[in-house]
Amino acid sequence: MPELAALETNGPIATLTFNRPEAHNALSTEMLSAAHMRLDQLEASTDEPPVVLILTGAGRSFCAGMDLKEVIIGDDPGVPLRLLESLARLTHRLRLLPMVVLGRINGAAIGGGCGLATVCDLAITHADAKLGFPEVDLGLCPAVVSPWLVRRIGPGRARTVMLSGGVMSGSRAHELGIVSQVVDSREDLNAEVDRIAQSLAAGGPHAMRATKQLLNSLDGSDNLDILLEGAALSAKVLATEDAQRRLKARQK
Amino acid sequence: MIATSTQTVAGTSVALIELNRPDQRNALTPEMLRELVEAIDAQATNHRALVLAGRGRVFCAGFDLKLCKAAPDGSVMRELLTGLSKACTTLRALPIPVVIAAHGAAIAGGCALLGGADLVITNTDAKLGYPVTKIGVSPAVSAPFLWQAVGFGAARERLLLPELISGRRAHEIGLAHELVDDRNDVLDRALQRAGELGAKPPGAIAATKAWLARLEPAEQQQRIHEALETSLSLTGGEEEQRLLAALNL
Repeated sequence: MPELAALETNGPIATLTFNRPEAHNALSTEMLSAAHMRLDQLEASTDEPPVVLILTGAGRSFCAGMDLKEVIIGDDPGVPLRLLESLARLTHRLRLLPMVVLGRINGAAIGGGCGLATVCDLAITHADAKLGFPEVDLGLCPAVVSPWLVRRIGPGRARTVMLSGGVMSGSRAHELGIVSQVVDSREDLNAEVDRIAQSLAAGGPHAMRATKQLLNSLDGSDNLDILLEGAALSAKVLATEDAQRRLKARQK
Repeated sequence: MIATSTQTVAGTSVALIELNRPDQRNALTPEMLRELVEAIDAQATNHRALVLAGRGRVFCAGFDLKLCKAAPDGSVMRELLTGLSKACTTLRALPIPVVIAAHGAAIAGGCALLGGADLVITNTDAKLGYPVTKIGVSPAVSAPFLWQAVGFGAARERLLLPELISGRRAHEIGLAHELVDDRNDVLDRALQRAGELGAKPPGAIAATKAWLARLEPAEQQQRIHEALETSLSLTGGEEEQRLLAALNL
């Protein structure tokens, strides 16, 4: 079985790739566990750890959000909460990594997938990528990712984005500040991300780490409790009859 | 002075509350703000979304300064500031989406009302801002809402600089979320957006709004209270009375 999350290191730049392209890299328990393992590996790298981590998805999409199969409640009603908690912990770990996390948002970044884009220190996408938080349209509450969106674009704009649901273009996501940069076409993305990664890697690693740590402490990024509280709330709303009915309709 | 109606937008029931004093550019009186809070409480329960708008050429030009000037003890100003803060918190506490149609102008107390919205729509050439230090009034009452909308830096600039900005600039800084070119299109757009947001699953919308309130700093309610107290502390003072008396109304 291929790795569901792949880690490659090339000098000061590492790349973590969600690798379920046939499922648009939807967040499953297994893929999240694989990503956690890759972060264990990254955190353990002692001599000359990477300075930059590129976060991306294999195939046409970055990450399509929660795997529908796991959020439609089946035999084990505890699955969605564990999945949401795993996502919450992954976002927290990514944010607290000492290296700068650069999102290469190669295509659709939806719901939890868009949340992962907002956790990145910087994120670059292309004009036609589809990003957004359509949770409310499905009767869900985007509670795990909203703390990250609020930190990214401020509470006022986050309120509008979350309550409006739907998806938007990469260009619009850039106007709103959800991503830090946008390129015209998908073909231009890798080169631009590489350029930015090189430029980040040229910075003093200690200065970068200290700055990132300070920013995390200023904006409350170290608060894991609020993310776990969000996971519990998301799981509660997800278990309602209305949400389950809408999710099943979406699956068909 | 407050008109309420029910609008059905693509099958969704939207409460429309309008400031209705068009000959005075919807200048706010204490009575109007009391009526407004009552209307919000009364209308919200049976609808899926709420739109706050103003009749006539502009959304709202702020407090009725003639009334303020006629009460040198500051009593009217106090009622207005208290009513304004109450209107914003009442809007903010609603479990349904709140859209404000700020066409033409939203000035001083009128701009402060935007603090209650989930979504603000204005027109490119509208005039917005808080030019109240000119009359010895502190716009502090708006600060906790404004910094949530636009961040600390822009809030500081807007509250201290007694100048108006265009709808376009308001959109750039995040004080407004959508722009239309013509002021006559603002209300239609607001109703349309309210219909869209109101059509979404109400449980998910209510849970998300409650969660966004939870994500606000723990001291937000205390700040709203202190902000009002700060504005109140200047009412009836020498500076305010002198500057109000000099106003040519």
